[in-house]
Amino acid sequence: MSSPPIATCTLLEAAVAVPPAFLLTIAVAVSAAGLALLMQPKHRALRVGGTIIGLAGLAMLFVEVLKRATVTGEEAGLPPVFPVIFGFLALAGAVRMITHPRPVFAALYFVLVVVAIAGMFLLLGAEFMAFAMVIVYAGAILITYMFVLMLAQQSPVAGIGEPVYDRMPREALSAIAVGFVILATLSEAYFSPTAQRFRNDAVTGSIVSGTQQAWARLGEMPKLLLQTARMVKPDVATVVEFDSKSATVTAKMANGSTERFTLDEKMIPDNGRQVGVELVSKFPAGLEIAGVVLLMALFGAVILARKQIELGEDERRALAGMRRFTVDGEAGGASGDSRADASSIASDNGGSAR
Amino acid sequence: MSHFTTIFPAILPTTLPAILPTTLAVTDAQTINAALLVSALLFTCGLIGFLTRRNMILMFLCTELMFQAAALAMIAFGRMHHDVSGQVFVIFILTVAAAEAALALGLVVLLYRRRETLDSEAWSELHESA
Repeated sequence: MSSPPIATCTLLEAAVAVPPAFLLTIAVAVSAAGLALLMQPKHRALRVGGTIIGLAGLAMLFVEVLKRATVTGEEAGLPPVFPVIFGFLALAGAVRMITHPRPVFAALYFVLVVVAIAGMFLLLGAEFMAFAMVIVYAGAILITYMFVLMLAQQSPVAGIGEPVYDRMPREALSAIAVGFVILATLSEAYFSPTAQRFRNDAVTGSIVSGTQQAWARLGEMPKLLLQTARMVKPDVATVVEFDSKSATVTAKMANGSTERFTLDEKMIPDNGRQVGVELVSKFPAGLEIAGVVLLMALFGAVILARKQIELGEDERRALAGMRRFTVDGEAGGASGDSRADASSIASDNGGSAR
Repeated sequence: MSHFTTIFPAILPTTLPAILPTTLAVTDAQTINAALLVSALLFTCGLIGFLTRRNMILMFLCTELMFQAAALAMIAFGRMHHDVSGQVFVIFILTVAAAEAALALGLVVLLYRRRETLDSEAWSELHESA
């Protein structure tokens, strides 16, 4: 099994030789070819080759994209191991999810994607959303999907295996072509030199304004501000003024005097608090609408999932309090009873309507 | 128990601060780039999955994949501007995803009861007769 590393090496060398402007597009095309080979459910050898080619394409993409991110004049420390690991995990899970013949396994691979994405969130400093993602997606939404899969799945037929609609992809080549054309344009837009320069400037320039924004958010939370001020000086009575640019607190002390002191950067409110304040102070209407959306989804799901009982024309007429169509000629004892039931229902309905 | 107490205080204070700042802080631009790339690739995977899978439940699962990609892009761009609004938007994405999952699964169950199959091709004749 010495072929995979050699293939990867030659591809990477080829990637070094071509002009950098086309590198992303070529890498995208290589990944697309890998995915196209992976979607051949009948040939195992093709799938193995597809895995290797796809991994090589992904490696090219990552190397090129990370290379473009190096800020000039800033010596990067370790290579960004964790983003690459989480990224590969997420992508492997996603590819396996769209190619796996068994739906339950595909859903489980989606859990892997969610966990890897949560890891990415942690690296990007969004701790609250990382855990919310794991709880809500992996814990709630995926369980719902699994339930429905278990309820509605057809059992595999002996000798054939999974039903054909799970084994055979539909229009794989054209779908991959469409998807990767979008990806090529998207990556060219994301990682074009102009966009990259703008992003690098934003990343390096916004660290100061980032802490200032965090302080400004602390200024919107009077209680927490008082607590934070008391962490510096225990006998603060009230905070008179807070300057978010210099993180300076003007406070009235317990003995009546006024003092000014600056807060330490360690006292920046944590991510969960910042998200909460941002949510309720900047997007209160969005919060309300989200609640309404969830409520409507609840109603919709209840109405959709209700078992619909097919009533005949006669029963409907009877329930609406109208006369039946049935001719009474052949009425025996049993049908007479049912008529009496129907009319009593009708009169009940009429009573409740009044 | 004793080797835990001896090894851990020795390792943790020295290695953790040494590793974390270099990987998490210095290469911020690289992290954002990697996140954007992963989000673009995930979105593509979700799109391709939606087009190629024929199982209705998995088609909707692939839309969830696209939601994930969108959420990751939101957080990455939010990180770029050191703004928390991106994370707030992810909360809204989560809401929409949950609502969509509830409704879509209700629909799928309804359709499954009618035709006893999850194959989306079973509903390909959902047009007026030509």
